Amino acid sequence: MHVTSAPGHRTRSGALVGLLAGLVLVLAPIGVWAATPAPVVAAAPPVAPALPAAPPVAAVLPEVGSTAPTAPEPPVRIRLPALGVDAPVAPVGIDDRGRMAVPLDVATVGWYRYGSGPGATAGSAVLSGHVDDREQGYGAFHKLGDLAPGDPVTVDLAGGGVVAYRVEAVSRFPKTDLPVGEVFARDGAPRLTLVTCGGQFDYREHGYTENVVVVARPDVS
Amino acid sequence: MRLNHLARHAGLAVGGALALALVAAPAAVAQETATVYVVHGVPDTPVDVYVDGKRAIDDFEPGTSQGPVQLPAGPHKLALFAADAVDGSGSPLLSTDADLPAGGNVTVVAHLDEGGNPKITPFVNDVSSVPAGQARLVVRHTAAAPAVDVLAGGQPVIEGLSNGQEKALEVPAGSVSAAVAAAGTTDPVIGPADVDLKEGTATFVQAIGKLDGGKLSLVSFTVSDLHSSPSGVPSGAPSGAPADGGAPAWLLVTTLAGLSVVAVSAVRLRSAARR
Repeated sequence: MHVTSAPGHRTRSGALVGLLAGLVLVLAPIGVWAATPAPVVAAAPPVAPALPAAPPVAAVLPEVGSTAPTAPEPPVRIRLPALGVDAPVAPVGIDDRGRMAVPLDVATVGWYRYGSGPGATAGSAVLSGHVDDREQGYGAFHKLGDLAPGDPVTVDLAGGGVVAYRVEAVSRFPKTDLPVGEVFARDGAPRLTLVTCGGQFDYREHGYTENVVVVARPDVS
Repeated sequence: MRLNHLARHAGLAVGGALALALVAAPAAVAQETATVYVVHGVPDTPVDVYVDGKRAIDDFEPGTSQGPVQLPAGPHKLALFAADAVDGSGSPLLSTDADLPAGGNVTVVAHLDEGGNPKITPFVNDVSSVPAGQARLVVRHTAAAPAVDVLAGGQPVIEGLSNGQEKALEVPAGSVSAAVAAAGTTDPVIGPADVDLKEGTATFVQAIGKLDGGKLSLVSFTVSDLHSSPSGVPSGAPSGAPADGGAPAWLLVTTLAGLSVVAVSAVRLRSAARR
């Protein structure tokens, strides 16, 4: 009896170990998945309260005669302290449908390299990042719509310079009504325009129905 | 005086007969002036350019271009005199009448025809907007040479272009290795040379000179600020589904694997308990 029960115990403890291992296999990846976007979403509170919401100051740059703009200095990093975002920036162009190309990696923000650059004396420098993705999780601009006027934005340039902005306005447009002429203008007062998607996800179109657009002006304070 | 093409053909001024049939380029607003570029493509012959009897360009060197200049819309008389001519009187080397449309944008090319005789050919410059991410390349054959092909990266992109003709392409912005070869061949008679076609620009390239003696070259100028905006910003989910729309595929796989281990273990537990 005693002898025959030993294999039974072994079988039972082996099965118990298997059961636990199986549960770990089920639960651990779910935990990992759930925790993945945390750095993007959760790091917000410490910085935001410390920064007074200064009214945006219109930059007055009397740059009249520059008709032949030199190639802008590429941005390499963007920081949105109010959202805990610190993301790499890569130059992008046009996709095969004539739209701004956006990096496939949702953690990387794209800079429209044919337009103005951050720190340029005129025009809108456009940075765009994905909201989120089923396979990659939340994107760098997931919480872009939570920015508020006065929030700081800083952009690092390839040459080591840093350009500081403050958010002036946060808007939402149906995708079909995005004012592309304004967003991508290469003239006018210097500004930084951050674009991501918002609204409902349209599964037939495989995209969101809206664009979230944040316009920031040079921080001259 | 220099022995040159223009001098030899001084008596053959194309004057009057060649009224420029210039079609107005689509202009956003009606303007009272026209934009004019001038290309000098006759070898060995510096000239002075007179517009309506007044000297407009002094000592215009072959193989160069001038412009843009704004001229009042309406009829004008263009005349080319040898650069050492005292004034705009007497008989010009070449002349033509041009009726410039308001808001128009044109290039006037003094060049050799296929047989080597000097002439003036006007071209309308397509300065309409260029699709986002692209550049326009306009190639004009204004050289004493048979039909040519234009090669980009060794492949023909324009074929069978003959004297007096032009062809326009819209291509992705960037640097291309461009060359000109006799039609149907890939052996360059000009180039290859790297051409940087910047986004939102139109580059007008004139092939000038003459094939005999290897005096072919290119004169080009670029018009900027013709860019368009991208049509939108697709910054949603690159895989076609949002993060909140469901778990990623790898999570499904691990979950199924885990559940099957749990199920097998549970069965083993039950059978062990029965024993």
